[in-house]
Amino acid sequence: MTDKKESAPVLVIGAGVAGIEASLLLANSGRKVYLIEKTSYIGGNVIKFEEVFPNMDCATCMIAPKQQELLANENIELLTLSQVEAVSGAAGDFSVKIKQKARYIDLVNCIGCNACFDPCPVEVDNEFEEGLNKRKAVYIPCAGALPNVPAIDTENCVRFKGQECQACQEACAFEAIDFNQQDKELELKVGAIVVATGFNMFDIGKTSQYGYKKLGGVYSAMEIERICASNGPTQGEITLRSGEAPKSVAIINCVGREEKGYCSAVCCMAALKLCHFLKNKLPDLKITQFYSDLCIPGKAYQHFYQEVKDSGVDFIRAEVTGVSESGKELAVKYKTDQGKGNTLTADMVILNPALEPGADSAKLAGMLNIPQSREGFFSEKEPDLTPVATAQDGIFIAGCAQGPKDIAETIAEAEATAGRILSRSG
Amino acid sequence: MGEGFTPRIVGFLCNWCSYAGADLAGAAKLEIPASLSVIRVMCSGRVDPVLVATALLRGADGVLIAGCHPGDCHYREGNYYARRRFALLKKTLETLGLDTKRVMLAWVSASEGQRFGEVANQFAKQITELGPNPMKTKISL
Amino acid sequence: MAKRLGVYVCECGTNIADKVDVDKVLAVVKTLKDVVVADRYKLLCSGDGQEYLKQSIIENGLTHVVVAACSPKQHETTFMNVCERAGLNPYLFQLVNIREQCAWVTPDGEAATDKAIRQIRAAISRVQYHTALEKKGMECNTDVLVIGGGIAGIKASQVLAAPDRKVYLVEKTASLGGKTRRFSKLFINMESGPALIAGEIERLQQNKNIEVLTESEAEQILGFLGNFEAKVVSKTEDKEAKEQNLNVGAVVLATGFDLFDAKGLPQYGYGTLDNVFTSLDFEEMNLADGPTQGKILLKNGQPPKSAAIIHCVGRAEKGYCSKVCCLYSFKFDRMLQSQLPGAKIAHFYSDLCIPGKANQKFYEDSRESGVEFVRSTVTEIAGGDKGLTVKYETESGDKGDLAVDMVILLPAMEPSSDARKFAQMLNIPQDDKGFLAEEHQLLSPVASAVEGVFVIGCARGPQSIAESIVQAEAAAGKILSALVPGRELELEVKTSQILESFCTGCKTCIEVCPYGAITFDEDRQISVVNEVLCHGCGNCAAACPSGAARLKHFTFPQIYQELEEVLR
Repeated sequence: MTDKKESAPVLVIGAGVAGIEASLLLANSGRKVYLIEKTSYIGGNVIKFEEVFPNMDCATCMIAPKQQELLANENIELLTLSQVEAVSGAAGDFSVKIKQKARYIDLVNCIGCNACFDPCPVEVDNEFEEGLNKRKAVYIPCAGALPNVPAIDTENCVRFKGQECQACQEACAFEAIDFNQQDKELELKVGAIVVATGFNMFDIGKTSQYGYKKLGGVYSAMEIERICASNGPTQGEITLRSGEAPKSVAIINCVGREEKGYCSAVCCMAALKLCHFLKNKLPDLKITQFYSDLCIPGKAYQHFYQEVKDSGVDFIRAEVTGVSESGKELAVKYKTDQGKGNTLTADMVILNPALEPGADSAKLAGMLNIPQSREGFFSEKEPDLTPVATAQDGIFIAGCAQGPKDIAETIAEAEATAGRILSRSG
Repeated sequence: MGEGFTPRIVGFLCNWCSYAGADLAGAAKLEIPASLSVIRVMCSGRVDPVLVATALLRGADGVLIAGCHPGDCHYREGNYYARRRFALLKKTLETLGLDTKRVMLAWVSASEGQRFGEVANQFAKQITELGPNPMKTKISL
Repeated sequence: MAKRLGVYVCECGTNIADKVDVDKVLAVVKTLKDVVVADRYKLLCSGDGQEYLKQSIIENGLTHVVVAACSPKQHETTFMNVCERAGLNPYLFQLVNIREQCAWVTPDGEAATDKAIRQIRAAISRVQYHTALEKKGMECNTDVLVIGGGIAGIKASQVLAAPDRKVYLVEKTASLGGKTRRFSKLFINMESGPALIAGEIERLQQNKNIEVLTESEAEQILGFLGNFEAKVVSKTEDKEAKEQNLNVGAVVLATGFDLFDAKGLPQYGYGTLDNVFTSLDFEEMNLADGPTQGKILLKNGQPPKSAAIIHCVGRAEKGYCSKVCCLYSFKFDRMLQSQLPGAKIAHFYSDLCIPGKANQKFYEDSRESGVEFVRSTVTEIAGGDKGLTVKYETESGDKGDLAVDMVILLPAMEPSSDARKFAQMLNIPQDDKGFLAEEHQLLSPVASAVEGVFVIGCARGPQSIAESIVQAEAAAGKILSALVPGRELELEVKTSQILESFCTGCKTCIEVCPYGAITFDEDRQISVVNEVLCHGCGNCAAACPSGAARLKHFTFPQIYQELEEVLR
């Protein structure tokens, strides 16, 4: 007897590392997987990092084999530029309406030569690169992004504002650009759903004391990650906006912690990683970290902290009250636990923000009828005992969609959802 | 020395990292010396020192081995063995009277298209300056 | 059979044709021995292109095919599939990269053409040394052995077991439940540990597909993924030892943790002073069947009016943060306050470790209920007539002391003593802290370096029950995905093999194999490759002094041919 649950396809929402891992395990067992992804590329947030803690693995190299495996797997149907519109049914028999935006580029014909970029007359900030460089309206977010096929950004492409323009199409030697493509509505019948929609960074613009977006030397951690990236806007050159390399850096942790009300689990380690990376690139760089409580749990992390500390990075337990201009440099005003006030000058300030649930979480939670925690993350059925199951039978959550966590825990949760879906223990 | 001479350089690139890095250099349309001929291997650990010696004895002016950064090897430890073999190889080449600057081991990750360009061009320049491999005229097999 | 080679140059639209003089290339290729077809195509990877290629292979009766186009990382599989559809073994094919690594990076057309010719000649030479390789499958056992009957082992068993997949759950002691069974309350929602375990045990008993073996230990495990044989010794009721051999496809290690021995740090007075307890002692005290029937009492039988909780005991010695102690210390606050309202509680800690969406609130509730938090290092617990004194020093150097009735130490979590035993038995690396190592810290957190053996729970690192449950389900996910009843294991095709006649038995290959895929055959005194475990990296081939170890693809002769041609 084939239980409908046992052989029905699975919907995985989000093609970051969690979604990719869950999809691969499910597909390799023989199940069909629909993997939907909101953006035009796979890899989520992890592909934005040059190196990841604690072993300073090259993130893109690390997940490249998984991405290749995913794209080649015949059981996985990848639907990019797609979002869930409505969900009905129950475990074993869900009916999911998906809206897939047109890419306007044919996935089969396009060979990824990028010839269509140059002639495009529209230039906008590249959000993948945190606005540090520009992209065209027909674009790939960064070199090496997969699938290696551009998409047309309908918000900015002049055609969608009523203007005539065929520049990209004329430049394409493979007839890959098709303005006749339409947005599609699909209805998928699946037996189980995995929510792996990842995280966003807390919007530092909501704070005012750090001079973010006002002072040139103040950067967000994600901006620095892209500056560090060898396929990023500066090809890995660490420079201030003046073009010069910084001589001193202050890293401010827990930005947004008070507003959000929780510890984002990975930021202390991410900051240590940045220290390690920056010290390697600029050995004379003076780095100071401002923090409240050092969060370095587990067997592997304290050793990394010690290494970074031994390399000469200063750690000051203090609350940063403000960042202001001080001549060509920045003045970081801080207050220690004991109430002592002081100031540190630095060329560059890096703000390390909290992790938040993805922007569409509330909408998706509503459609799936699963509760969200007070903080906006998707809730587990029984927080301490069923970490990847939700109140809805057949709907599972994995990765940062469930709460801030590191890559290892994310992958474990993704594998756990596959375990629960494939389980036939009744 | 080395004027008007186009070197012949053999590059052993590992499938998972350095070959992908070289592809990325291609996608970025960087300029890579035409003198570099690429032989793909699955892992830098596959590169038997005998292959490198053979290449040099067959007249290669330079041999480049590129693999994943330590810790990133797709096969866990292959590149560590590549590193050890390379160290031993260099010692052996010394005793043969060959300039060890003719062989190079580099770590290039899959996202380091720019770096691959730098490594390839810098190595080609180095080999051009060193001039033709003396083994070409001294030994015939 | 006579060789008939077909060489196809893809123009890739203008991407290759713009730089490389395809006519010149074809002119050279056509002159080479055994080349019967040399042709060009605008876009070979397109539907039409693939169809054309397939027909050409069939019509020309080709024995080998070379395609010069983009990177093999793009379309090697595509064209191998075309060969297969044309009835030609897909491994008698070579793809030459004349786009990413030639046309796109060589501004001078002549130089690009020369390079393309060089690389294509290399491929033509090489492909003739390819052998026809076939996909291989192997029958496998899909049952699972789970070692350790704590919450992780129990959960893994439950997710895995099915009518066509038996699970053996082996537990050293007489009862299941591990440490969890002895926690009266679990953080953060204060569920009952004993009740949880009792429920799980009942579920296990009703599950006909799980065989629970208590008072049992695995003494020897041989084999590999899909094919393990485990010798399990059980103590029968008459204290006799009963042996049985279990055949399984995968092994899950869930051997749990022990606490760092606080007696090793005399300054805390554990074992010498009355009323100094470890966290596990305190947990026992709160159990109805514990030493004080669930009452929190001092040695003199009286309830304490104050308690100090000392964090990070042994942290400096062990060199890591045990992750869960801060959280369960807040649980202790609630347990103390619930039984002894009005009791004064003070925590002595270095850094609060409260990651995650819900845990900060758990901490804040403790603090708001009047619990004191003193960031400091405890230098000594002193005893005396009036009770205990906690002597401490803050970060700014201020010294202080606090008199309390009871001290609860939070010692570091260590891997249990069995970790070492199984690490050695199964050849799994332990890290320098003694925990069982994962295959890849980030990408493969529950698999071990030995394929088919998984490590979950506190055996692999200090963590919470929730995380242990995730890992149990994750290991199950990996096993359920890889070992499917009725389905053969698909093996890597491009594996290594060792030629008996050349092997001198030096065992160098065994040393260098990252996957432990090579074993030594004592009878024949040669090394043998296990194709289930071999990943085809070629390290053995490079290391073998006699040339006995050879890859089936990327062989020495193949690479040598490429070398010859590019250096011509």
